[in-house]
Amino acid sequence: MIALPALVLLPATGGAIAWLSDRGPEARHRPWWVAITTIVLQTLLLFYVTCAADWGHGPWLAHFSAPWVPALGIAARMDMDGLSLVMLWLTTILSFPCVILSARDVGERPGLFHLLLLATIAGIDGVFLATDLFLFFFFWELMLVPMYVLILQWGHEDRRRAAIKFFLFTQGGGLLMLVAILGLVILHQHATGIVTFDYFALADTPLMPTAAMVLMLGFFAAFAVKLPVVPLHVWLPDTHTQAPTAGSVLLAGILLKTGGYGLIRFVVLLFPDAASRFTPVALAMGAAGILYGAWLSLAQDDIKRLIAYSSVSHLGFVLLGVFSGSPMGMRGAVVQMVAHGLSTGALFIIAGSLQDRLHTRDMRRMGGLWQALPHLSSVGLFFAIASLGLPGMGNFVGEFLVLLATWRISPPIAALGAAGLVLSAVYSLTMVGRAFFGPPHAGEGADHAPPADFGARHMAVLGLTMALLLVLGTYPQPVLNLSLPATPLAMPEMEAPQP
Amino acid sequence: MTAPLSGLPPSLPILGGGIALLMLSIAWRRSEARAIVIALATLLLAFASLWSPVLAWPGDPVGILFVPDGWFAYIAGLILLSSAACVIMAWREAGTPADEFYLLLLLGTLGALVMAGSADMVIFFLGLETLSLSLLGLIAYHRNQPTADEAAIKYLILAGLSSAILLFGLALSYAESGSLRFVAPSLAGPDGPALPLAATALVLTGLFFKLSAVPFHTWLPDVMEGAPVPVASFIAVTSKIALFAALARYFAGADLLRPDAAGMELAIVAVLSMFGGNLLALGQTNLKRLLAGSSIAHVGYLLLALLSPGPFGLASAAFYLAAYAAATSGAFAAMRGASGLSDIAGWRGMFRRRPALALAMAVMLISLAGIPPAIGFFAKTYIVIAGVSARRVVLLVALVASSIIGLYYYLNVVRAMMEPVPEDHRAVRGTQANTVLITALAIVTLLAGLFPEMLVRQTRALLQPVPVLSAASLPPTAPHDILYKE
Repeated sequence: MIALPALVLLPATGGAIAWLSDRGPEARHRPWWVAITTIVLQTLLLFYVTCAADWGHGPWLAHFSAPWVPALGIAARMDMDGLSLVMLWLTTILSFPCVILSARDVGERPGLFHLLLLATIAGIDGVFLATDLFLFFFFWELMLVPMYVLILQWGHEDRRRAAIKFFLFTQGGGLLMLVAILGLVILHQHATGIVTFDYFALADTPLMPTAAMVLMLGFFAAFAVKLPVVPLHVWLPDTHTQAPTAGSVLLAGILLKTGGYGLIRFVVLLFPDAASRFTPVALAMGAAGILYGAWLSLAQDDIKRLIAYSSVSHLGFVLLGVFSGSPMGMRGAVVQMVAHGLSTGALFIIAGSLQDRLHTRDMRRMGGLWQALPHLSSVGLFFAIASLGLPGMGNFVGEFLVLLATWRISPPIAALGAAGLVLSAVYSLTMVGRAFFGPPHAGEGADHAPPADFGARHMAVLGLTMALLLVLGTYPQPVLNLSLPATPLAMPEMEAPQP
Repeated sequence: MTAPLSGLPPSLPILGGGIALLMLSIAWRRSEARAIVIALATLLLAFASLWSPVLAWPGDPVGILFVPDGWFAYIAGLILLSSAACVIMAWREAGTPADEFYLLLLLGTLGALVMAGSADMVIFFLGLETLSLSLLGLIAYHRNQPTADEAAIKYLILAGLSSAILLFGLALSYAESGSLRFVAPSLAGPDGPALPLAATALVLTGLFFKLSAVPFHTWLPDVMEGAPVPVASFIAVTSKIALFAALARYFAGADLLRPDAAGMELAIVAVLSMFGGNLLALGQTNLKRLLAGSSIAHVGYLLLALLSPGPFGLASAAFYLAAYAAATSGAFAAMRGASGLSDIAGWRGMFRRRPALALAMAVMLISLAGIPPAIGFFAKTYIVIAGVSARRVVLLVALVASSIIGLYYYLNVVRAMMEPVPEDHRAVRGTQANTVLITALAIVTLLAGLFPEMLVRQTRALLQPVPVLSAASLPPTAPHDILYKE
């Protein structure tokens, strides 16, 4: 289906047009209009893809394949299954708040800003679709650079360090994955005599247990940096804190999910045996992440930092779910990813708006905002509660399924994960209490006009997000049905893989 | 007299004719415009002649002194194009009088071509010295600047020293084998391994000096900093390509996977160059010195490809050379486009002052760092494929670790260009010809990165075992074709 590469090319083209349209001061709003048109078109295209998909003929829904570098067995091959579709929808939905609400903090050079934003989205869409390992890696690297520039140019006070840290960590993990990809290709070549980067062909490679383990660890390293898994999370708090609001939303909402997606698609499905042997370590890392992230969240004064650490904690559940080895856990992990993307994305929007209004992220200098900003505060309360996992919201479904699946294989880990939920209630409510309730901060308000509350634009976007979270929490079945990944052995119905 | 010249690639006499013509033209009347036209026309004509048949007399054995094989044609193409880039950069930069600058560039190119195509030690040495001597003149061309003098003296001493070492190694090699063929002597000779080992070690030392691999690299940053921009580009690109091609030829028959002394030495130097080059570039505030460090590191990556024989090894090296040549020439051309501005601090705010120039520079740096969609990404991947395929684990780990260091300093320059415009900035300007050159190189860097297929096919055609030098000592060639089932 030609629409699959179009999903990648459309944002890229739109970005280029937005960039070119930025000429002179009278054209300040033109890039924004181009960007919004692009994502509306993207939504329509995705809607078309969803409708035109090949439902009912196996788990793979759509295919595209074209030769790229046949001399090395590299093809521009994309395949879409339910998991990809869910992730694509999440990306598209979250690109709306990024574009709509970012108008405030763009400042100068809006064309470049929208180019970078849309280029990142294009790279992410490519990651979710590519089934040629070289193409996958190409997109994987491609989404880094625009994000790096975005943080560097529009970030907050300590942006240089944060941007370079982000880049070096992800790139380091990525290079390890590259070596692992090539190792797999070469082993496949030794076994069959064919050089190919095709996902489906490579999944058939007969591997010695040690080799499988080493290769799996290479993939795991890249995705673990992205997700993040605890010893490799060091880049995340700085990056999220320093990124501009749209950057934080993209990072927390979607970019981190490429890690979870990769774990499912490549680690578990390409190396099932090695992954199951690795399970105890992965579960321990997941539980450690949940507790460590929650514990550090408790100690933060910087509101964006708090949300960043809470991401570490919530995404620990994704690791638990992916490695629980059961369909239930896998589904829970996907729901958790979607719900986390929506709720944390919204929380970063709120934190960014607070910073816009109060010029600080320090919760010690907030307080009593409910009187001044009732809309913002109530929305903040909603998403804080969603993020702590109140029943009825998506996060609860995800965490519950993951804990249930984990309990079956390791009750102690499940108990630790559940303890993390208690901590998450504590830090979420503390955050709400410190920022929105309590006495107004002494220094504020007295000599300044009260800051403006959320306007209709913010309320509409965030209201939509709330509705989605509630739907996901009360009727998660469609997502659950879609979210089980298709195995690479269920070969999509099409001609033989490219040589 | 016919036999020794049999197999002489036509590009060499063309270059020689061009040089003579340029000399005559200078003797008649000086004109920079005429000099550059003659130089460019000569280079392009030589480039076109790469597709023509080789001069070979019927019945004579081909390849006594020159090997006009696919490897030579490919390398010669890169040398001629990168040298043409240097010529364009030199326009209105060469100084007065400018004509001899182009003459020296052509002479150096001739030396590089001879070196890349030689099958004989004497021919190789002649080519090397032609290149070295013309480089000396080029480095010292702005002779009233003290830095140029310093760089030239440094280059002179080290080039002389390394030539002497190289020559001694070649002599020992001749003593061992009684043959002047430019190829690593077999260690299984009748007199034990000591003599061939010493010969190989000395030749390698000489080559590493010229190639500026760590630990023989210390001259490079100083010389490049002192040299004019086109010359720095010539040192970093043209001469390195020729030397690497000669190195590959020297080891054509040897089995580099065997952990013998020569293989070990190459591997150690590769690791040292990767780390040494990248660490050297890390702290630089001068763009030329940074690119010097980066070029040392890239030599390390290329050695990894050389050390990974097999279906991918040499092909990936050839691809990498093209990617490196495009991006490094492009970076120097961008520097030339900014009035030769080499202080990184001076590049601050370039994205606002000269957006197109800054974008081109960013593309080149991204390519050197190996980030998609630039060609450097595919090139690095190709080398890693070769390394994985030959199971060079230690070298691969070194490549990954040192590449991460490399990212930092390349991105650092990009970051500086994105900063706000400083108060005290100078206006920068280049020439129109140079702008065309930058644009072309940026387009090549991006397009070849997105569609590498053509170049991959081109480099795969080189897979026929490099030079046919000593048919007796060559191992049977691997049946490459069955590895690529279409």
